[in-house]
Amino acid sequence: MVDAFEPPGPAATKSPLRYLWWLTVSQKRRTITGAVLGSSWMVGLTIPPCLLSRAIDEGLRAHDTVALLGWVAALFAVGVVNAGLAISRHRTMTKVRLDAAFRTTRAVVRHSTILGATLPRRVTAGEVVTIGMADVQTMARSLTATGPGVGAVVAYAVVAMLLLSISPLLATIILVGVPLLAIAIGPLLSRIQRIGGSYREQQGALTARLVDIVTGLRVLGGLGGKDTYLARYRTQSQALRATGYRVGAMTSWLDSLGTGLPALFLAVVTWVAARLAAEGSISIGELVAVYGYVAMLVVPVASFIESGSDLARAVVSARRVTRFLRMTPDQADGPGSVDAPPPGCALFDPASGIEVRPGVLTAIAGSRLADSVALIDRLGGFCDSGATWGGVPLSGIVLGQLRERVLVADNDAELFAGTVRETVAGRVDARDAAVWAAVHAAVADDIVEALPAGLDSVVLSHGGNLSGGQRQRLRLARAICAAPEILLAVEPTSAVDAHTEALLVARLRTARAGRTTVVTTTSPLILDQADAVIYLVDGRQVATGRHRYLMRAEPGYRALVSREVEVEVEAR
Amino acid sequence: MTAPLPVAPPAEVRRAARRDIARERGTFVVMMLLNVLAAGVGLAGPWLLGVIVDTVKASPHAVLGTVDRLGATIVAVTIAHLVLSRYALYVGARFGERTAARVRERFLERSLALPARVAERSDLGDLLARGTTDINSVAGTLSSAAPTVLINGVQALLLIAAVLIIDPLLGVCGLGCLAVITAVLRWYLRRARPAYLALGAASSVVAEVLSTTAGGARTIEALGLQRLRAEATERAIAASRGAQLHALSLRTVLYPTLDISYTLPLVGVLILGAVLYAHGLTTLGTVIAAALYLRQLASPIDNIMIWIEQLQIAGASYARVEGLATVPTEQPHSTAEPTGDRIEVTGAHYSYGHGDVLRGIDLSVRAGERLAIVGPSGAGKSTLGRLLAGVDGPHTGTVTVGRVPIGHLAPDRLRRQVVLVTQEHHVFHDSLRDNLRLAHPGATDAQLRAALATVGARWADELPDGLDTVIGGAHQLGGAEAQQVALARVILADPHTVILDEATALLDATTARGTERALAAVLDGRTVIAIAHRLQTAHDADRVVVMDAGLITELGRHEDLIALGGTYARLWRSWHDGGR
Repeated sequence: MVDAFEPPGPAATKSPLRYLWWLTVSQKRRTITGAVLGSSWMVGLTIPPCLLSRAIDEGLRAHDTVALLGWVAALFAVGVVNAGLAISRHRTMTKVRLDAAFRTTRAVVRHSTILGATLPRRVTAGEVVTIGMADVQTMARSLTATGPGVGAVVAYAVVAMLLLSISPLLATIILVGVPLLAIAIGPLLSRIQRIGGSYREQQGALTARLVDIVTGLRVLGGLGGKDTYLARYRTQSQALRATGYRVGAMTSWLDSLGTGLPALFLAVVTWVAARLAAEGSISIGELVAVYGYVAMLVVPVASFIESGSDLARAVVSARRVTRFLRMTPDQADGPGSVDAPPPGCALFDPASGIEVRPGVLTAIAGSRLADSVALIDRLGGFCDSGATWGGVPLSGIVLGQLRERVLVADNDAELFAGTVRETVAGRVDARDAAVWAAVHAAVADDIVEALPAGLDSVVLSHGGNLSGGQRQRLRLARAICAAPEILLAVEPTSAVDAHTEALLVARLRTARAGRTTVVTTTSPLILDQADAVIYLVDGRQVATGRHRYLMRAEPGYRALVSREVEVEVEAR
Repeated sequence: MTAPLPVAPPAEVRRAARRDIARERGTFVVMMLLNVLAAGVGLAGPWLLGVIVDTVKASPHAVLGTVDRLGATIVAVTIAHLVLSRYALYVGARFGERTAARVRERFLERSLALPARVAERSDLGDLLARGTTDINSVAGTLSSAAPTVLINGVQALLLIAAVLIIDPLLGVCGLGCLAVITAVLRWYLRRARPAYLALGAASSVVAEVLSTTAGGARTIEALGLQRLRAEATERAIAASRGAQLHALSLRTVLYPTLDISYTLPLVGVLILGAVLYAHGLTTLGTVIAAALYLRQLASPIDNIMIWIEQLQIAGASYARVEGLATVPTEQPHSTAEPTGDRIEVTGAHYSYGHGDVLRGIDLSVRAGERLAIVGPSGAGKSTLGRLLAGVDGPHTGTVTVGRVPIGHLAPDRLRRQVVLVTQEHHVFHDSLRDNLRLAHPGATDAQLRAALATVGARWADELPDGLDTVIGGAHQLGGAEAQQVALARVILADPHTVILDEATALLDATTARGTERALAAVLDGRTVIAIAHRLQTAHDADRVVVMDAGLITELGRHEDLIALGGTYARLWRSWHDGGR
């Protein structure tokens, strides 16, 4: 977008209304243009009935061809001008809505990256998508109020003025009747929204059921149960149909009342005006004009009501958005943050008693995966703990420096959509040679070579076009390419076959020579190659040394990594 | 690897639509009748106004009673219109709901009837999109858009008829001026569909960026990918904005043209009306009524415009949903009864379209043996597993069980023979009991508990409602737990041959080994074929198959292969040396 993006400040996220206001004033000029165009267009709609009445009275009835042609020409000209105003208004308002939508999407994405590891602890990704897509649309739509919404009020005033010049009685009926009409129809429309809610909920559940069954198609095909699930879906589908009938019964009334009540109002006004015409207080042309004016009032009344209910829903949406934007990350730099220690310092975790020696490959073999994951979290500074780096508490180190130099490579780390090059290069501005080197170290050459365009091939989000093992190797390539001073990897080869694993660990050693690397694993292929192995039981270090030493000295360790049943039973 | 599902061709779509309407013939007739009545009554307003004008003009000051009668008629007619349109909408909505239910139930029926080979190779995302987005688009259109379009369409037609009836000459003149609408509409519709499809695709990219950014927020922090994500967002937004503006440019042509088109007939009718009136060929009231009818035409046409795109989109969705009907069904099932449990693979070749994945496999699996298949990624292990399980057939060569081609067995007979368990398992959003019983409908709770215990699913005992606990929602299962459910199902299904394709890969090493052993004990006497990357599995097996590049390169007992000194021996040695 052309406009520079300024994220919302704390004042804008204080309350839903302030946020909507921020969306409006962030594009002042466009909003004002929209309001002016909206008002001119609505007022413009009142002119044709007036011209039509003149054409009838002064042209048609008076058999005055020149006057008739004049008024008809004016009618056409106004029609053209109004069409121009209408589309200008529509274009401006579309851009106003787009700007508001994208502004919020940007704010939500940006805030997600600020929250980082804190985000999954507070909200689900699904909620963020709801905020970033559905709520954004609702709020954007509500900004229509600034254009046609303002115009509706102006048009209503203008019609009242015009009617005043024809008949004070009719003007009074309109002035009182239209607000009453709005009050009567407004709740009807919001009723439709509410009834629809339960239907949509049920429909959502039915859709979820269908997704569940279709996703499990292979299970049902391989093991049976198709008939049971089809029958259940049918029952649920018929229940939705029954709810649909009830909703239809209500909404059909509300829909027809929504258009019928203004029509009824029009009928009553026409009747009164016809009487006035019969009494001679107004002319026949004026009678037709009154009909035209009141028929035209349907537009501003509808847009006014719509703006009202849009705004009500937008406030609910804005509340969700502002609540999200107000969240703060658990870990952030404070006034007491200190610089990271110089290179070559050891990491120490008092909770497990583990010290990570700098410059070597350390393998951590734990009996429980959860313990190893928690340990890596502490060493990587992803949670508050007593862990230190060169004696400095990790929680007090400037976060940017910590993340730059200590990299945690999760086993289930996200793969984002993009080319292989982007995926592997990540934050670094890597040259192709560096990317290939990382790919080679992670034994991922065959993956890249099998893809149609090499490094330019697209990786779908979540690595959707790759197998589990391929995803894992690509993740590792990405971590290697980032070349951090300290790399902490969780089970980096769990989905890789033995052939590949053996190759991978050798290449990883070469690629990380001289730097600190920690991997959690129970695979003997890796453990044997590690400079140091730490044996972890219940989250505590119980022994450390080379793999072969531990195999001899620690029966529990041997049981964990070897295949012998007897020892395993013994160790338990 | 995946093949696209077909979309129904236009002729097929029309046939399906006609069938769906024919099933509701009675309702359809009532619906049309109500619509015509409602629209007809709606026409009375302007006509009555015309009558009032003529009455007042003919004899001013003396007709208050007549005017009152006409005025009251206008009010009564409006009320009648309101009530009639309500019933027209209601019957339409019921028609839509019923048809929508029929369409979605038919869709699931067809999805479940997809042959395993097609289901395996189809893009699951595509099938899901049809089942969610497309089904909902068809349903939404049927229950709300279709009735609205119908009532407005009938109204527009009747308005046109009304002008023609009150004065044919004026009517033809007015309608001639409306011809522009048809032209611009055709222009627009040709371009609108691709434009709105692009719009939808662009906004799903934005949604995708949002969801992966939120889902991968920790990864972004760990790897410092903030700038890259911001760039991806900007790209997605730019694309979405571009698509929006393109659609807007189409509307920029359509809307003003329509607006001006509504004015044209008015101009035409007034000028022609003046001429006719001057020559006494028509009355003032007729001209006014014709003018008002033509002005009124704008509203139904606008209403149809609002929905016409949705109708188009729903039409495309309907074609995608009905596309499943064109998938060729299962080949005729063989009635031959397998003699014995021996599985034979002879000269099997298989290809996913570019180069053979299996290049001539001969393998005989003895009943009751434990066979391990090992080899590097891409060697064709999983493909062989799928052939052995009868999920797919070889392109050349045969795979038989007890001398019957395995792919020819009907699903319910096949699953008594062979069950394949892969890493991709699925736990239904249902009670744990239902999740297990699908493999053995008559199983008792004791049997279910025993199966769970065998696979080491101790967590099942701690569930708040035991076997009645609904999985999903509050009780999500992790990958390892879901895998245990999948294995418990196999125990309950009790086939004579089980193929485990990395079926324990998600369990941690200790649990995996325990589970595999327990499974072996339960399946004692059954044939177990394990595709694995853990070499322990191979060591425990009776025979080991080593695959490379679509061929079996080594086959034999563990000890024999070690003695042979080939690939397997080398790998084992590195493992073994590491393990000692």
